[in-house]
Amino acid sequence: MVNEAKIDIRNLNVWFGDNHVLKDVSFKIRENAVTAIMGPSGCGKTTLIRAINRMNELIYGCRTSGEVYIDGHNIYDRNINVYELRRKVGMVFQKPNPFPKSIYENVAFGPRIHKMANGRELDEIVERSLREAALWNEVKDRLHDNALTLSGGQQQRLCIARALAVKPEILLMDEPCSSLDPTATAKIEALIRKLSKRYTVIIVTHNLQQAARISDFTAFLYMGRLIEYGETKRIFKNPQNELTEKYITGKFG
Amino acid sequence: MSGQTEERMIFAILGAPMVICMLIFSWIFSLLLTGIGTVRWELLTVSALKGGMFEIIVGTIYLLLGATAVAGPIGVLAAIYLVEYAPRGGFTRIIDQAINNLAGVPSIVIGLFGYTFFCRHLGLGVSLAAGWLTLALMMLPIVIRGSEEALMMVPASFKEAALALGATRWKAISSTTLPAAAPGVVTSVILGIARVAGETAAILFTSCVLTARGLPRTPLEPVMTLSYNLFIQIVALGAPAQRVFGIALVLFMIVTSLSLSAILLRIHYRRRQPWLRMKG
Repeated sequence: MVNEAKIDIRNLNVWFGDNHVLKDVSFKIRENAVTAIMGPSGCGKTTLIRAINRMNELIYGCRTSGEVYIDGHNIYDRNINVYELRRKVGMVFQKPNPFPKSIYENVAFGPRIHKMANGRELDEIVERSLREAALWNEVKDRLHDNALTLSGGQQQRLCIARALAVKPEILLMDEPCSSLDPTATAKIEALIRKLSKRYTVIIVTHNLQQAARISDFTAFLYMGRLIEYGETKRIFKNPQNELTEKYITGKFG
Repeated sequence: MSGQTEERMIFAILGAPMVICMLIFSWIFSLLLTGIGTVRWELLTVSALKGGMFEIIVGTIYLLLGATAVAGPIGVLAAIYLVEYAPRGGFTRIIDQAINNLAGVPSIVIGLFGYTFFCRHLGLGVSLAAGWLTLALMMLPIVIRGSEEALMMVPASFKEAALALGATRWKAISSTTLPAAAPGVVTSVILGIARVAGETAAILFTSCVLTARGLPRTPLEPVMTLSYNLFIQIVALGAPAQRVFGIALVLFMIVTSLSLSAILLRIHYRRRQPWLRMKG
């Protein structure tokens, strides 16, 4: 079904202590497309995307088995540089979390720690990233204001710009609109569509309409298992699994 | 009993301790004020050999600065380790408990330990250095506890954002958590200083003398301090009350200004840290 697989997840299992959160999840994620991961609360959506940039292992008591291949390399291999991995796989969180620093410093943070640029070159990265995140026009005259003075929606786009600044290939988004109003949500959704031309976007959502609106592929998770995965249109029109059908028709979740 | 009478009784019961406290405080304050007559600028700047207090005040400051230089870095580093790096488990819990216990050890016992270990065993003798180490022991739990609290107040989301950008753990902590926690950490150090500024028992036999030729020239020489001077003036010399309360007033002002600066610093930074108000 998926030809150009950017990410290939095989038999992924994650435990937090005795809690078996992800159970034998296997699927392939297509390059330069939007893949939505949906499912009821606590089904392991967030754990699944955090397995792709190895953020789970920062949580005490977490164990992972299985493989996640990105461009053919298993990111759980011992010789993988996890910092380089996380540069390549950007992440946007549920609640906007800009640093309590200036707008400029927020975007420059990543390039600085990876020593990618400084001076004029860094200015250019900051501008390019803010433009890509559709925020430049709103903040170009106040780059040195504190990021916390921005509105919620602007903060979230700043977080997207911050993630884009380190030139990632994959963008993980964990319910990026859940704390935003409808206008801000619409802006971010349009942005996600645009970004998918250049980045492989994986978005966690429990908003069915959102998954239907913006994603090319949809994965449905339930109690840690991947129940169904396929093209979004097909999943919503013609779900093959009874659970998926129940979920998208609002019978539970 | 009618509701009204009950309410009045409760008010009286709750109000009485308040009144008692205010009476005690105002009495202490009036005693301190009796010393104000003896505290003149000359007294503060004239050498102790000529009846002034200069070396005694500076000696107190020497002692506090040295103890801070020891306890500050160790305490802050320990707090960072305990909050950010230590594995959660039995061993860490034992250490946490040990720190709590250290805070509860009577200062005279700390002094006794300082004397046997630093003065005798390490051969530092009765000296400024022994006083630094002994007071540092008393400051440590306060600095560690306070710094830990400051570190834990910083939302984890900042650190997570840095880590997700590919920062190392230390880079994430040093660029996001530490700057945000800095004011709280500084406050905890100042509170630690304030805690030991008036300390007498711990330095009684580790670092003090009543009269020295002047300020210590090396850390291995003993020092004169306000609290010790006060103690001796009362128990041994039977000094005039005015003189005693004068010393007490100077000591009181040093400790109070330290505590006050900690409070002001906290207020100042809290204003600049909106997330402390936003919660979460």
